[in-house]
Amino acid sequence: MNKLSIKNVLAFIAVVFIVIVFAFPIYFTIVTSLSSRAFISQGSIIPDMHLGNWVDLFTLPRWYNAIRNSIIIAAGCVAVGLLLSIPAAYVFSRIKFGGDRHFFFWLLTNRMAPPVVLSIPYLIMFKTFGIWDTHYGAVLAYMVFNIPIAIWLLASFIVTIPREIDYAAFLDGYSLWTYFRKILLPALRPGIAVTAFFIWMYSWNEMFLASVITSANAKTLTAELLTTVGRLGWGIEYGVAAAGAVVTLIPGLILLYWARRYLIKGFTFGRL
Amino acid sequence: MRNYVWLFAPALTILLIVGLVPIFPLVNYSVQTPFQEENKFVGLDHFRKIYSDSRWFNAIHRNLLFSMIILAIEIPLGLVLAYFFHRPGVLNSVASAAIILPALFPYISIGLMWRLMAATVGPLGKILHMIGIEYNIAVNATQAFATIIIMDVWHWTSLAFLVFSAAFAAMDPTPIMAARTEGATRWQIFRYIQLPNLMFPLLFVILLRLIDSLRIFDEAFVLTSGGPGFSTEFVSQYIRNVALEQWNFGYGAALSLVYLFMIIVLCVMVMNILTRGRGVL
Repeated sequence: MNKLSIKNVLAFIAVVFIVIVFAFPIYFTIVTSLSSRAFISQGSIIPDMHLGNWVDLFTLPRWYNAIRNSIIIAAGCVAVGLLLSIPAAYVFSRIKFGGDRHFFFWLLTNRMAPPVVLSIPYLIMFKTFGIWDTHYGAVLAYMVFNIPIAIWLLASFIVTIPREIDYAAFLDGYSLWTYFRKILLPALRPGIAVTAFFIWMYSWNEMFLASVITSANAKTLTAELLTTVGRLGWGIEYGVAAAGAVVTLIPGLILLYWARRYLIKGFTFGRL
Repeated sequence: MRNYVWLFAPALTILLIVGLVPIFPLVNYSVQTPFQEENKFVGLDHFRKIYSDSRWFNAIHRNLLFSMIILAIEIPLGLVLAYFFHRPGVLNSVASAAIILPALFPYISIGLMWRLMAATVGPLGKILHMIGIEYNIAVNATQAFATIIIMDVWHWTSLAFLVFSAAFAAMDPTPIMAARTEGATRWQIFRYIQLPNLMFPLLFVILLRLIDSLRIFDEAFVLTSGGPGFSTEFVSQYIRNVALEQWNFGYGAALSLVYLFMIIVLCVMVMNILTRGRGVL
């Protein structure tokens, strides 16, 4: 037991060290968001519990509108993404078709295309069709990475539902709609939840496209952070920007707590 | 069931609109001078110009150097951390959670965090000051580049960690137990039993991180905005600058196409590795 406890102490120290290294920048951002300007300019690592930054974040229109827009767009992406992807994932996982490997590869390249490459055509296309700087435009643009992730994730859940259930249902005279409503969707509930969360995360975190295809009405929180940082002399806004950054972290924290065992799936393939 | 293929149509339509259609205007712009005083057809001039564009080649070199360095740090580090923390247990879960955490945050927020950390009065500067290094990323290019690397390691060691942890957890424990009873050392077990099982995840992470790091934009932009000078400008930043700051859409489109082609070539490699003997799902 003695030998073990020395090992345990070492392990404990290692863990404490790792937690400090990985958590400190997050802690420091929270500290900055809770500090007055005088404290921030000293680089203090203890806050003076100044709530002005948070009050600003929720009372200045450009900040609370940005938070609202981020929520609307991410929620819209979840709704539209699931609506489009559940049927597609069903087909993708049930029916073998020629060239499905190539199709999958195309999905992959959509996910991997650098946002800067897409931003130029989006800017022109969206302005032409009058959806630039609207929530619709942002949701549409985000489908370029959300649909591939959603199809991939959902399909990997659907293949675990035995095909025999499909056959039985259709033999019993279920229409496609009844089959979806009574069998597939209830069985797919965990998959839908996980997919919804990942769509939310990727849409909520996206910044580059948002900064190009939105400007005032539909500007997201991440794009607003970029604008703030890009402004000359933004040092005076460190506090409120830090508060905004802290808000952007919330979905990630919830996801870590809620979906730990699905993380690997969503990340490795979601990133593709 | 075959007649339900049309269920694919809505998703496919949207994906074509946002994924494939944009390529056509890109190709179109890349041979013109759109949105300038005179929009004329210039053929392949933009592409020829790339050959002599030193800022572009600097960005490519810098980006590749950056990718090599972060791979050389993140992959071994993630592997070591996963080796020690993949088993269940309270301490291990706490460590895992802390390591994974940064991967869930928006790039821009990571950039902002590190901008605060690296500010002249920030904790990073203070610590380095104590050991006698004057730290200022606004004037020192090497320090700026190093800070971007530290930030990326902090952010994305998590991915290597996640993938390797999953690989360790999925390994069959019986050969390891057998080796242990036979008196194999930990190194021998790692080298001859665990490592061969890690080859697929290893390649997978390398390619993923390679592609991702070639796309780097948000964090580096927030941290240094490419500066001081252009000394930390990456490919995405340069293209954004050409297209959205200088409003040179034609040249920006040409650069975008070259960039996209590079990424697609890497994607082909990922695809081949991913599907070898594993199937699509």
